[in-house]
Amino acid sequence: MPEAKLTTAIRKPAESVAIIDLEGEVTGFAEQMLMDAYNQASNGKTRTIILNFSRLDYMNSSGIGLLVTLLIRAQRQKQSMFACGLTEHYVQIFELTRLNEAIGIFPGEAEAVAAAA
Amino acid sequence: MSAFFQRIRLFFGSKQTADAPDAINGAARSQEAGAEKAASMQAQVENLDIPPNDPLLAYLISTASAVEIDKLSMNSPTLERLRQAGVKISVPLVSQGELIGLLNLGNRLSEQEYSTDDRRLLNNLASQAAPALRVAQLAYQQQLQARERERLEQELRVARFIQQNLLPRELPQMPGWNIAAFWQPAREVSGDFYDFITMPDGRLAFLVADVTDKGVPASLVMATTRSLLRSNAEKYISPGKVLETTNNLLYPDIPEKMFVTCLYGVLDPQSGEIVLANAGHNLPYQHTKEGILERRVRGMPLGLMPGMVYNEITIKMNPGDTLLLTSDGLVEAHNAQREMFGFDRVKALVAEYKDGDMVQAILQAFQSFTGPDYVQEDDMTLVTLTFQPVQSGAGNPQPITFEVPSQPGNERQAAARVLAVLEHLHLDITRQKRLETAVAEATMNAMEHGNGYNPDLLVKITVIQEPDKLTIQVADQGSGAPIPTSVDPDLDAKLAGLQSPRGWGLFLIKNMVDELNTYHDPSGSTIELVVNL
Repeated sequence: MPEAKLTTAIRKPAESVAIIDLEGEVTGFAEQMLMDAYNQASNGKTRTIILNFSRLDYMNSSGIGLLVTLLIRAQRQKQSMFACGLTEHYVQIFELTRLNEAIGIFPGEAEAVAAAA
Repeated sequence: MSAFFQRIRLFFGSKQTADAPDAINGAARSQEAGAEKAASMQAQVENLDIPPNDPLLAYLISTASAVEIDKLSMNSPTLERLRQAGVKISVPLVSQGELIGLLNLGNRLSEQEYSTDDRRLLNNLASQAAPALRVAQLAYQQQLQARERERLEQELRVARFIQQNLLPRELPQMPGWNIAAFWQPAREVSGDFYDFITMPDGRLAFLVADVTDKGVPASLVMATTRSLLRSNAEKYISPGKVLETTNNLLYPDIPEKMFVTCLYGVLDPQSGEIVLANAGHNLPYQHTKEGILERRVRGMPLGLMPGMVYNEITIKMNPGDTLLLTSDGLVEAHNAQREMFGFDRVKALVAEYKDGDMVQAILQAFQSFTGPDYVQEDDMTLVTLTFQPVQSGAGNPQPITFEVPSQPGNERQAAARVLAVLEHLHLDITRQKRLETAVAEATMNAMEHGNGYNPDLLVKITVIQEPDKLTIQVADQGSGAPIPTSVDPDLDAKLAGLQSPRGWGLFLIKNMVDELNTYHDPSGSTIELVVNL
């Protein structure tokens, strides 16, 4: 399998909030990386996971499938999931897939963190 | 084996003679002691190197028979070592005047002197063992050499593969332009190269370059120069500036007496204007309805001197014109009579050219000139750009077709190429993004479900432009099941675990375009995307 063209980083702006920075491509090949990032971000006290897409280069249908998987896991943990930094195109795709009903969409990180607090 | 050091590998331990007076038990003890001594001696003289200036070496070669070590007297460090190791007799193995080994013997177990018979036996043994050992050594050397040759050949094959990957894998597809290229290295790898770089504004940078020399040294400089030209092509639109910057960067790194000639142009596909700059390369020929034009623009080759400035000329390509770029390998080729192909023949061919593929026409003439026994002297590159604009009102542009192998990641390449083909339509960013997603998803679908990610199977993409709509067909070569009609994925069902989290592809495509059609026949499936303009 080709390498995932994705890098992730976890930040914790507050005890109950974890930001996952996604840089590069969210495709099927990023599964392991995304799940690892989620596991790392999701310790016992994390109530909100913010996916930061501001450095997203490309996301495809397999990538959306992964977000659904992530969402299922977050919901089981009773965590909220937010997204920020999406371009207009991907906001439209979130709307089309109705992911926007399950994932709160914010223009920037600051807004997402404020809403999570 | 080193020519200067005779490496001695053979060693025979103590000699047990039949007339040894020891009792059986004593003999057994004595044999054990002998074996220990032998092992110690072997350790001391194994891999013995005799320096070329050691007098013992000349002595052993000249006597070529068993030598009693204790009776020798000369200032020889090797002799001293042999003595210390307990060697009593050394029998040189000499083949063709060269010492190739030594048989070293310690004390006899009986502690008696070696007899004349013993020495005769040893000399006989040595005279037979030496040639046999020599043959074995030569066979071993040959084996090593063959392995080394094979390794070098394998490396060259890999180098050629790497280099071919540095050349454009596909030629640019631009409405109204027909671009052809030919590249043939004289050896496994080449100093010639060509490149095309599509600019963000739709202009096309093109170049042909030739590194002095050929083979591996040239190919290494080629790789560096190509990277420099590419990165500068992205920074500067001016061909003169690209050459100037490349020259200044290349100069400190290029080996002395090596340089690179390069003809570099930027084509505006709409207007047919080409800006050219030249770093010491062959001049380009422009075939026009009125005849042939030699486009004169000159400058110093890259890598010779820093701080060079490169003039530019602007030429206008009219419908039907072809611009030809060549490397030295064409004009400087000789036939069996040692005549050179020469510029005049190239000019005549360009002047006579009517239509069809100019590269093929030149290659045919070249082959009949050089004859069937021709061994290519130099790397050879040809590139042509032909302007064949679509007449307005006389129908729509021809469909543009290209193929990508079924390898993960190629869907983005396919989408980028479709957007490049449609660049002249100046679609707004929203439309571009939607089209990009639709084409990428359709290509991914074809690579994955149709072709099973078999890189030998291709996905064929056809772009049909009409005044009121665009049609993009994405066809796989799979003989599998038809593409299923898209069941709208339901997020709630997915979150509840009632549907797979995946399965968004066709749904996305359908929502990105105005119309989605699927076809299936025995040769494969096609997804057709229609976008209204």
